[in-house]
Amino acid sequence: MSYTELQVTTNFSFLRGASHPGELVEQAAALGYSEIAITDRNSFAGIVRAHVAAKKNGIRIITGCRLDLLDGLSLLAYPTNISGYSQVCNLLTTGNRRAEKGECHLYKEDVYHYAKDVKFVVLPPGLNGLFDFEPSFSNALAEYRAIFGNDLYIAASRLYNGDDSKYLYRLAQLSSQLQIPIVATNDVHYHEPARRQLQDIVTCIREKCTIYTAGYCLHPNAERHLKPIKEMLRLFRHYPEAILRTQEIAEACRFSLDELKYEYPEEITTEGRSPQEELDLLAWQGAKQRFGEPVPEKVVTAIHHELDFIGQMNYAPYFLTVHDIVRFARQQKILCQGRGSAANSTVCYCLGITSVDPVKFDLLFERFISSARNEPPDIDVDFEHERREEVIQYIYEKYGRDRAAIVATVTQQHQKGAIRDVGKAMGLSVDTVNGLSGSVWEFTEEWFEGKRIKEQGLDPGDKHLRKLLQLTREFMGFPRQLGQHTGGFVITRGKLSDLCPVMNARMANRTCIEWNKDDIDALGFMKIDVLALGMLTCIRKAFDIAKENCGLDLTLANIPQDDPAVYEMICHADTIGVFQIESRAQQAMLPRLKPTCFYDLVIEVAIVRPGPIQGDMVHPYLRRRNGEEPVEYPSKELEDILGRTLGVPLFQEQAMKIAIVGAGFTPAQADELRRSMATFKAKGLVSKFEEMLINGMVQRGYLPEYARRVFKQLEGFGSYGFPESHAASFALLVYISSWIKCYYPDVFACALLNSMPMGFYQPAQIISDAIKHGVNVRPVDINYSIWDNKLEERSGSHCSIRLGLRQVKGLRQDDINILLTSGKKMYSGINELRDINLPEATLEKLADADAFRSIGLDRREALWEISAKDRPVALFSGQPSADAKGENVSLPVMTPSEHVVHDYAATSLSLKAHPVIFIREKLEQLHILSTEQLSALKDGAFVKVAGLVLVRQRPGTAGGICFMTIEDETGFANLVIFESLFEKFRKEILQSRLIMVEGKLQIEGEVIHVIVKRCYNFSSLLRILTPTNNENLPLLTLAYPDEKSVPPGLNKKTQIKENAPEKIFPEARNFK
Amino acid sequence: MPKRFMAIWFCYLKTDWFIRRIPVLQDIPFVLSAPDHGRMVITAVNPLVLSQGIGTGMTVADARAIISSLQVMDDQPGLSARLLKGLAEWCIRYTPTVAFEEPDGLMLDITGCAHLWDGEKQYLAEITRRLNHFGYDLRAAIADTIGTAWAIARFGKDSSIIEPGRQTAALLPLPPAALRLETTTIERLEKLGLCKLSNLISMPRSALRRRFGQCFLRRLDQALGNEEELIIPIHPIEPYQSRLTCLDPIVTATGIEIALQRLLDDLCLRLQKEEKGLRGALLKCYRTDGKIEKIGIGTNRPSHNSRHIFKLFEIKIDSILPAPGIELFVLEALKVESVLPLQEKLWENTGGLDNIGLSELLDRIGEKIGVNNIHRYVPDEHYWPENSYKLASSVNEVVQTAWRVDKPRPLQVLARPAPVEVTAPIPDYPPMIFRFNGKLHKIIKADGPERIEQEWWLQDGQHRDYYCVEDEEGHRYWLFRSGHYEVDKLYQWFIHGFFA
Repeated sequence: MSYTELQVTTNFSFLRGASHPGELVEQAAALGYSEIAITDRNSFAGIVRAHVAAKKNGIRIITGCRLDLLDGLSLLAYPTNISGYSQVCNLLTTGNRRAEKGECHLYKEDVYHYAKDVKFVVLPPGLNGLFDFEPSFSNALAEYRAIFGNDLYIAASRLYNGDDSKYLYRLAQLSSQLQIPIVATNDVHYHEPARRQLQDIVTCIREKCTIYTAGYCLHPNAERHLKPIKEMLRLFRHYPEAILRTQEIAEACRFSLDELKYEYPEEITTEGRSPQEELDLLAWQGAKQRFGEPVPEKVVTAIHHELDFIGQMNYAPYFLTVHDIVRFARQQKILCQGRGSAANSTVCYCLGITSVDPVKFDLLFERFISSARNEPPDIDVDFEHERREEVIQYIYEKYGRDRAAIVATVTQQHQKGAIRDVGKAMGLSVDTVNGLSGSVWEFTEEWFEGKRIKEQGLDPGDKHLRKLLQLTREFMGFPRQLGQHTGGFVITRGKLSDLCPVMNARMANRTCIEWNKDDIDALGFMKIDVLALGMLTCIRKAFDIAKENCGLDLTLANIPQDDPAVYEMICHADTIGVFQIESRAQQAMLPRLKPTCFYDLVIEVAIVRPGPIQGDMVHPYLRRRNGEEPVEYPSKELEDILGRTLGVPLFQEQAMKIAIVGAGFTPAQADELRRSMATFKAKGLVSKFEEMLINGMVQRGYLPEYARRVFKQLEGFGSYGFPESHAASFALLVYISSWIKCYYPDVFACALLNSMPMGFYQPAQIISDAIKHGVNVRPVDINYSIWDNKLEERSGSHCSIRLGLRQVKGLRQDDINILLTSGKKMYSGINELRDINLPEATLEKLADADAFRSIGLDRREALWEISAKDRPVALFSGQPSADAKGENVSLPVMTPSEHVVHDYAATSLSLKAHPVIFIREKLEQLHILSTEQLSALKDGAFVKVAGLVLVRQRPGTAGGICFMTIEDETGFANLVIFESLFEKFRKEILQSRLIMVEGKLQIEGEVIHVIVKRCYNFSSLLRILTPTNNENLPLLTLAYPDEKSVPPGLNKKTQIKENAPEKIFPEARNFK
Repeated sequence: MPKRFMAIWFCYLKTDWFIRRIPVLQDIPFVLSAPDHGRMVITAVNPLVLSQGIGTGMTVADARAIISSLQVMDDQPGLSARLLKGLAEWCIRYTPTVAFEEPDGLMLDITGCAHLWDGEKQYLAEITRRLNHFGYDLRAAIADTIGTAWAIARFGKDSSIIEPGRQTAALLPLPPAALRLETTTIERLEKLGLCKLSNLISMPRSALRRRFGQCFLRRLDQALGNEEELIIPIHPIEPYQSRLTCLDPIVTATGIEIALQRLLDDLCLRLQKEEKGLRGALLKCYRTDGKIEKIGIGTNRPSHNSRHIFKLFEIKIDSILPAPGIELFVLEALKVESVLPLQEKLWENTGGLDNIGLSELLDRIGEKIGVNNIHRYVPDEHYWPENSYKLASSVNEVVQTAWRVDKPRPLQVLARPAPVEVTAPIPDYPPMIFRFNGKLHKIIKADGPERIEQEWWLQDGQHRDYYCVEDEEGHRYWLFRSGHYEVDKLYQWFIHGFFA
């Protein structure tokens, strides 16, 4: 006689189960089970993982779930075949869709509606004080029995509650009375008894209590583990038929997820063609458009080759689906750009999915799609971030809510969250929990061994703490909730809810499925990534502006390629605002790498990444490129892989190919390796692969040193993988944005400002950069500005930019629309603005932004006018009020520096002057140089330089080094602060708005760095910009003999934060 | 008589108080913090921290980035009000009219008080010195108006005593913030460049009213003395105490009883009026030879029943040694709590712990045998039997959970399970016979097992399988086996309780 466990709760019943599906399956296999069921609460979320694990372990999963009903007894449901499975999926979908995200509201009626081909097991409650079931239970049972007939069973468990014999006896009574057979289960919540502790903890987290106050929320014992079959047989020795029933159900429920067959949607073909024929047609049409007739020989061969391959793999519907979405975007004038493994093919170029010309680029198609892995191709499409929702809604519209949905992401419990949750449940104080989680930087064994913890003043030998760490370690990686993937779509031919349950997403008008992308991959479903990219918005806006102001009709494809002037500009690192290569690290790399062709840009994009940096690949590449080191290959086979990058692996594909070719990995293994890096470095998997890779390479005659470097690089790729195909797509946008910046800096700056927030820099830097390129920038004004920044008439070689009202902090677009649509061309007085019902607060904000110049008022005068609460009405509306004339008040005149401070306060930038200019004299007295002067000096010179702090950056790859960018009226300077000094000057570095540093100049070609030796906080100098604070602050006096140092006026009530001028300047951005 | 006011501003009220309590904090940068929208925000800083540029309103995380050794303490809600109230009460020694305003100021009406300290200068110096001595950092100022005194204490530069009638001149160089205005008004004034009151005072009143409202003008007038302003002084609480002096020293027990009765009637009347009751009382008898005799009582619930309290005292009156005689009785309520007035009921049959009669009985028994000898047990939510009940902290502790009745539990539980010898079939059958205290019990009925695991967060060990068994004589017992039945492991049987 055998037994099958039919009630298994995994940790995908969030905060209920305490074991991963995989663990349960492995345990079941080890105990000799030939199949177990997975029954999570109202969900199939964990089922794919269990299915994959079961296949690996050679056992079978009975797909099932536990239905918790709002108006009835809970049921376990097991579909017997694929149509039953669809029934349950639709049932869950119904429940999900009517509830908030994360909940499922089901009623008995729903279950009755979807009950065909499903076996049900009802979960009985406990006995009452009279050792019997409540009559309501038998009534409910009778109702179920009437509906479900022979498909209904009653679950019986022996959980050592003290009354097990009575309980089973009563169940048996009921069973024979109502003719519902009983079936044995053990209500499994964890795979081994030791997990009971973690189960208690997750219960506490769920009930929001501590283990000390949880009381009866917990289970009294540890019996809910997967028990050996023999033990289950013993427990139910008096009820052998209950055991037999498990076999009966297991036998009946033969459904396996393998039966699910993904089918591409139908709507993608026209005129009755097959997908392949349709693709053929479109590809050749596109080729003629792109390349003109006759299509070049090389292209023809490539297309033939690719189409054959696509036909052989049957991928045509996939390409057509992507094409359909892209076509819609193009119709709506939404810019898009494909990337990913298949996106850089000739076919994709012909279909318009990508604008990277594959002929020039020379990427081999098979490099991206490996037929060996037989994985669906992968194309991610980036859309303008402001308009991506339109595309998403198009997909929903076209395929319907029931056929398209977003893939889920399983939010996993990360270390900090885990320690926090477990700590709280274990009753630690908030401070201790913070201290503990604060001591975690990275998941390391060292941390679990308690070395780090000692630094927090906690005793690592403490039993309680050890328990906490052990539980934390187990808890890490638990799924916590289902989130929404950033844009991965699943589209099907039939109803999606026949394949898997669909649920509401947190955002309105979105629906997702319960499975994440790995699950989808495992089942072979197609997924299309519809992603958002800010730069595309910027480029589209630039195209629009160029069309309007310069009469140009630009597209991603028609911008002249390989323009030397553009590369020249890039080589000089003149790339503020440009896509990807604008960061400080990229800017430092550009003059060294000197890109001169498109492929150089591809490399540039990929090289400044954690992977190559951690793998120490950057410097070898630069040396080889500059001819300082011979280009050599460790072996002939690697020459094929590394030829394009001078023998240095820079791309993710290369590293994986090396694993395959160099270390003898199978493609699947290589992929698993990459994935294991990406998810968790836990569980010792990494070291297994490390050994495998290094041994493999050494066996094939590579140096262990080289093998180790490859491995390190793989590690880096794990978390921030950057494949060549992505780099190529990005490089195109790099080129396009550079081209616009090079030829139309006015258009570029204007579009960039209108797409904010994005990128690395603040509007002030974008504008000062535009001014540097000869663009005239004009201030915001109520009579000239609109909401967006716009171009005005030509002055000099470029158009002037008129700043838009969007630059003013705190204005609402709705209010500004009142101003713009009032019908009045020119406003001549503030009362006119009042008459169109512009809110007071808006007027005040406009005054703060100094937008009344065109009616002859500066900000102070305007504010004085605005603050008067009464205004002439009726006949006199629009006139200045009578009182005002008699007032004859003279306000203090604002100094230019004061204006600048207020400009910054209102718009974070000033066109009047740079703040540092006002203190230049003081700085000169201290022999502090301007940033411009630095370039005239020699390498190694000792300098003092000061500026506003723009960016602070402490990348994880730089070993504690802090990079800073400062700005003064002449330009930028890059500072490098080593770790030891960072600790010493931490306060200055983190607090200063205006910083002064002393240090050594390091000049390497065009790249200038200041290696900092000392830092000073000069922020207080900014105070002299406004007269308020230096004159009228009550200074420290000795009025009271024994007075200590009282900071005058530093009272919450009396001190207004905003008025400290050094605080007005935008806080520098911090990057990790 | 022209009015004079003194304003005191405690610059670091809360942190100074922490330093008073924990002197080592003097030299450590520390802040107080409170949660706000899920973040920990600094609510008070000490001077050391302030000098590093950390102020209130910053998040603790940001501050820690600047000073890694920063000590962070939890702020206590209502702390500043409590401290200020205490300080205000203390200041009553200098003037009867003291007010406090949160978050950090006191206002004293010192009209006609300063001359007792030889003038305002000495008066101010004295108060400053004494408060400084307590560890408070402060600034104080004296002026004709509340507004000016407030402004000078916080923003004053030169003199802290403004001569009568000189407030206008004193206010001129101060910023508008000194007028106790709303933040938005202050911000606007700053933006307009009107950063001194001198800029404002000369402006036409209509222009000011149009822009900054009547409130602004009132504040200005109040500071200048054109409009009167009142302060709401605090009243210190009278202690719950009553005194009885005797013309002739009392030496007899009856005399003491009469005195006690009068004092009690007096005190209880007041308590009753204020809807309060005492939990503890102390009777002090001052003897003519200077010695003091004391007796004290405690009650389980607040009471103002003089008859009941008298009964509690009555037992102890014998212990008073009047010797030469008692000339003064003082009855003091040590702990006072509020009581809800009870409606007299015709049929008092609720029983239970709400019954006043019961708690009064417990008081009386407690006075005789010692309160610590009376226990009350309440249920505690634990499966582990030894932890499933606990001692109540007081008679009227509200029980959080009901006693569990769904699982059989014996009426009498052994404090410590006693080992028994059994004969039991494996694996998990109940025993057939067991020997306890030398007596052999043959089991004829049994139920179980109920398996209870160790509460792993409290202690490690083996789980228990409990059985309810009945012997031939019809007695029922609660037995358990500690540990699993597997033969190779050690297990032991125990008896843990007796059913009826």
